[in-house]
Amino acid sequence: MLTFVVRRLLLAVPVLLGVVFVVMLTIDLLPGDAVTLMLGEHATKDAVAALREHLGLDKPFAARYVDYVGRLVRGDLGRSIQQNRPVAVELADAWPATLELTVAALLIAAAVGIVAGIVSAVWPNSVFDAIARLASLFGLSMPIFWTGLVLIVVFSLWLNWLPVGGAGSLSHLVLPAVTLALPSVAMVSRMTRSAVLDVLGEDYVRTARAKGVGEAWVLGKHALRNAFIPILTLLGLQSGQLMGGAVLTETVFAWPGLGRLMVKAIFARDYVLLQGAVLVFALAFVVINLLVDLSYGLLDPRVGRQG
Amino acid sequence: MRSSSSRLLLGLLVLGLVAAIVPWADAQKRGGTLTIVRPTDPVSLDPNLETTAPGAWVYFNMLEGLLTLDDKMQVKPALATSYEVMSPTRVRFKLRPGVRFHDGTPFNAAAVKFTFDRALRGTPPARWASLAGSLDGAEVVDDLTVDVVTKEPYGPILRTLAMYCMGMVSPTAVQKMGADFSRAPVGTGPFKFVEWKTNTHVIIERNPDYWGDKALVDRVIFKVVPEEGARMIALQTGDADMVLFPSPAQLPALRKDPKFTVHETTGIRVVFAGLHAGMPPLDDVRVRQALLHAVDRKAILDNIMEGSAGPARGVLAPGVFGYKDMQLDRLYPFDRAKAKALLAQAGWTPGPDGMLHKGGQRLSLSWVAARGRYPKDGEITEAIQAMFKDVGIEARVQVLEWAAVFQQLRGNPLNHHMFTVGWVTSNADADYSLYALFHSKQVPPTGWNTSRYANARVDALVEQARRSLNQTEREKLYGEVQDIIAKEMVWIPIYTTKEIIATRGTVKGFQIHPVEYNLALWKTWLDR
Repeated sequence: MLTFVVRRLLLAVPVLLGVVFVVMLTIDLLPGDAVTLMLGEHATKDAVAALREHLGLDKPFAARYVDYVGRLVRGDLGRSIQQNRPVAVELADAWPATLELTVAALLIAAAVGIVAGIVSAVWPNSVFDAIARLASLFGLSMPIFWTGLVLIVVFSLWLNWLPVGGAGSLSHLVLPAVTLALPSVAMVSRMTRSAVLDVLGEDYVRTARAKGVGEAWVLGKHALRNAFIPILTLLGLQSGQLMGGAVLTETVFAWPGLGRLMVKAIFARDYVLLQGAVLVFALAFVVINLLVDLSYGLLDPRVGRQG
Repeated sequence: MRSSSSRLLLGLLVLGLVAAIVPWADAQKRGGTLTIVRPTDPVSLDPNLETTAPGAWVYFNMLEGLLTLDDKMQVKPALATSYEVMSPTRVRFKLRPGVRFHDGTPFNAAAVKFTFDRALRGTPPARWASLAGSLDGAEVVDDLTVDVVTKEPYGPILRTLAMYCMGMVSPTAVQKMGADFSRAPVGTGPFKFVEWKTNTHVIIERNPDYWGDKALVDRVIFKVVPEEGARMIALQTGDADMVLFPSPAQLPALRKDPKFTVHETTGIRVVFAGLHAGMPPLDDVRVRQALLHAVDRKAILDNIMEGSAGPARGVLAPGVFGYKDMQLDRLYPFDRAKAKALLAQAGWTPGPDGMLHKGGQRLSLSWVAARGRYPKDGEITEAIQAMFKDVGIEARVQVLEWAAVFQQLRGNPLNHHMFTVGWVTSNADADYSLYALFHSKQVPPTGWNTSRYANARVDALVEQARRSLNQTEREKLYGEVQDIIAKEMVWIPIYTTKEIIATRGTVKGFQIHPVEYNLALWKTWLDR
């Protein structure tokens, strides 16, 4: 078990190195350059050259890559090009907000999605099922920034129940978390419905029912436990989706998280800051996948034995 | 005796009546928190590291320079009380006595020297060093007298020192705080720094020990709200008192609603379609003039800008020192027949496809533009493209992200006939634009003569005006420069920006400034 975890974490190292390489190369290939953007229209040639040298941007790509990785190995994420602040500090400022938002959205997606999915599966083709299907279609199709603005208009402007944006209290969290969760709620409820329906058609469920086991027990003990494996995989994938969606949600709701930090870094061509942010995302993906894999073992003893 | 006292009584009565009728302008209320929403967080609160609006809006209220520009664009004393030109490269300033920085450090000549040394001799130099022309530093004469020195005679020195980013910093605070200073600056201004939470808010508070008229509100919170729609909703719900960069589409409704006030004034940025005069066929002045005749600038202002911008009357904005109305509407009225006639003179005649041809070549211009860098830049580019087509000119527009456009414009050679750009005369002195944009030696990457305009007379005039410290003479020289440029246009000026800020009706006393960065909040008060 421990060796499995260690092996997986070690495998993450080449992944992260690759991520660093790709991000750095992309920024390098993008037209536009950090220094001219920072100094603006009016900068003299000498000023641009001086700042470029100061930031080490005059060195060739390979040298900068080796330099960056070398510092990374020593745990130094560098200083952001634009603000000249340690990237570690910038990330520490931003990632709790993104984590809070993503976890809240994931909880909403899991709770609402699973309950709605089970109800739809137990009474398939009922009125509730039809409504849930329609709502899912809506949740999946609407772009986040649109739903976000509509929610703001309804709950902030008309009803005046919730703040327009910003962070700080639970009431600030509600709208962004719900907005971010909507597409995932739809996915999870659809997946739960089909997984539970599949399992309910299995022989062992029929056997259990034949033995006279109560319907609640059949559902809880036999059906759900087996249906949970695909749902869990989906939730793992969704948490990645949610982090990606956070970029938009954070912008609409003025949420001070990593997504906005990343957007800012891209527009400023600040590759040092961007890399820091991307690394955090990449690391989060690795950890989430690992957790999902580990949880299979808990749900399905066969996985553990083979592993 | 009796009559005099009754006269006094009468006088008092009249005064009382007047007081009852005229609402006193100074019935100001003190206190409260002013909440401002704007799209982005500052890069830094230190002018050494940021000269763009997100930081400037905040630090302009905390840091003061020797001079300042009032809302009529006149130079006014701030931390200096008077000046005297000692020589073409030396101006002597008397400093305001008894002023202290927010940390208690006295403000004096040494602080001025420190501020300039830090900015101009630092590695790398301050971001504003490029804006400051020939400024070389300061020399202490005595505690309250300082000489500002330039490398060569530099006429724009006063307006340079009055720029928003020339604020004096506390030497003791800089030495003590090091790199942290840029996130918590210490100046002499009417507000002091309280807190900056990245991507959330910056808070500043009233400086109770300010040397001049003290601020009226207790605190100002600058919140970041990136989404335009969300900013406007925040204004409506009362979450915000003031919106910077309000949504243009909502302004007509806000103007009508007494619950809100829309503050607007003509800005100092001119947005234009630039012409590459070094690239055939635009090297022919008749072709360039034809392009101006082909564009219906009024239609663009009325239908695309919808009141959110003013007409461009030349290459400079009206608030800039040295500005002269170029009479573009008289020189280049919208006239397709005139445009076609000029093009025919230059040898361009309609071909079978309806487009203009010469020697088997189509009149086809390549044009690089961004979308969203300046208000409606993309729409304007498309509109002009269509207007060109009406006279038989093809424009091949390439819309790129601003950073990419910028890189092409900074490069040499430039492989496009046209480009859509806006230019701010940052120090509000004509030198800044007429020298960097029209002197033949200022071709990128040295300067910003992207049009590759070359006229020996203009070169001589802008050089002479730069070296003169006689402001009347300078104004005359710049007038002549603009007269020459008007005849040989290398731009199609489209509009002069308007500075627009929306507030709730409860926000009183706020005065909007033509320079976007000069967001002065100390006279603002809240009526609630």
